[in-house]
Amino acid sequence: MLPMMRSEFRKLSTIRGPWLLLAAGPLLVVAGISGLVQSGANLHAPATQGKALAHVSLAALFTLIFGILAVAGEYRHGTVTDTFLSFPARGRVIAAKLATCGLVGAAAGLVSSAVAVAVTAAWWAAKGGSFHLSAAGTWQTIGGGIAVNIAFAAIGVGIGALIHNLAAAIAAALAWIALIEGIAGQLLGSGLARWLPFYSSEALGRGNVTGSVRLLPQWGGGLMLAGYAAVFAAAAIVTTLRRDVT
Amino acid sequence: MTETAAVEVRGLTKTFGRVTAVREMSFTAPAGKVTGFLGPNGSGKTTTLRMVLSLVRPDAGEALIGGVRYDRLPRPRRRVGALLEAASFHPGRRARDHLRVLADAADVPVRRVDEVLDQVGLAPAARRRVREFSLGMRQRLGLAAALLGDPQVLLLDEPANGLDPAGIAWLRGLLRGLADEGRAVVIASHVLSEVAQTVDHVVIVSEGELRFAGPLGEIGAENNALESAFLKLTAPTG
Repeated sequence: MLPMMRSEFRKLSTIRGPWLLLAAGPLLVVAGISGLVQSGANLHAPATQGKALAHVSLAALFTLIFGILAVAGEYRHGTVTDTFLSFPARGRVIAAKLATCGLVGAAAGLVSSAVAVAVTAAWWAAKGGSFHLSAAGTWQTIGGGIAVNIAFAAIGVGIGALIHNLAAAIAAALAWIALIEGIAGQLLGSGLARWLPFYSSEALGRGNVTGSVRLLPQWGGGLMLAGYAAVFAAAAIVTTLRRDVT
Repeated sequence: MTETAAVEVRGLTKTFGRVTAVREMSFTAPAGKVTGFLGPNGSGKTTTLRMVLSLVRPDAGEALIGGVRYDRLPRPRRRVGALLEAASFHPGRRARDHLRVLADAADVPVRRVDEVLDQVGLAPAARRRVREFSLGMRQRLGLAAALLGDPQVLLLDEPANGLDPAGIAWLRGLLRGLADEGRAVVIASHVLSEVAQTVDHVVIVSEGELRFAGPLGEIGAENNALESAFLKLTAPTG
């Protein structure tokens, strides 16, 4: 497994795309928190601090795309053939990609969290608010946000293995998050919609972008998201084992 | 001497949808020889090679490398070096990084990366991104990747693709040298002129079926013996 993961890390670190995606997460966090402050949120309310830190789970959008890129990018450029020549045990290749992207997702989540804490503290200081890392729920929000980054990276690997076309895979993932869950939420009603992947990630990251759905408790969102990640991972392994590489 | 052929293909068959790409293909490629795997475009050469490499799953038959299926080899890149048609690279990755990814995977020291870059004449371009490479340079990088694990078996699909005349002459010397070191070298090609002077053994296929397998000498000694045999053997049937 170690040579496999080392090879995966080198594959991802020797091209530009993955670095750009990793840089985009913290930028989204900075922009999102700044937007929240500029829109006149009450910086003295403890809940506002939590809302700011919950942007870490939104940055997981980029670890999702990172995971997709790690698999579908290989099909796009044909390098997947070399990968399977090195390691004919394809199930283990997907497992290595899951592990590698999971680690990268964790690192990305940590960096985004550090940036979120720094930016929130800076804004609160500048605007005369009171920011406390020890405030109730702060660490749960940060921990949940990092967990979302890990889970989305793994789900991305699954999507990339199921949809080999890179552009189609990214489009499908973004459409799901931006459109389909919102529509499904309206059709199904809040009681069912909260079990869907993006709403589950909102529960785990303690954010609530739409605000219209009553989310699961954090641990419930975490369990659901872990379940989705496991299903995608299993589907990725099964389809990858069966398909010919031509 | 061992009885096990370096590469043994036994009854390989593959159907894609309603098209039978390869039908009951059998041949062997011995160590220490260059085997030409020849046939027109679309005759099933690439599909056969991909089945030998466990990339495509055969419907019937099997292919063995030194008696073992490719996907059962413990360290396949150290046993088999492969260059597939239109070798694939990420355009933004530097040549040396491309090989380092494979070296990590094969668990060979980074020293080998510089050795093979030197061997194929790409050392001066090692730190350039592949998108800046000509077709011939890409082909050399693909050959470097095949040689990386110092394998005893080389399977090369159209290795002369994109090489200029000097490059083809260089390739001929390289392949001869590799075979003389005792390796089994298999080159799939539809361009006879590129291989006629290099091969010891020929396997001729057409329409997914074997038409001839044996030493070059069996085909005839005349100048154009290989070409006339090839044209006769690969003429479309009924």
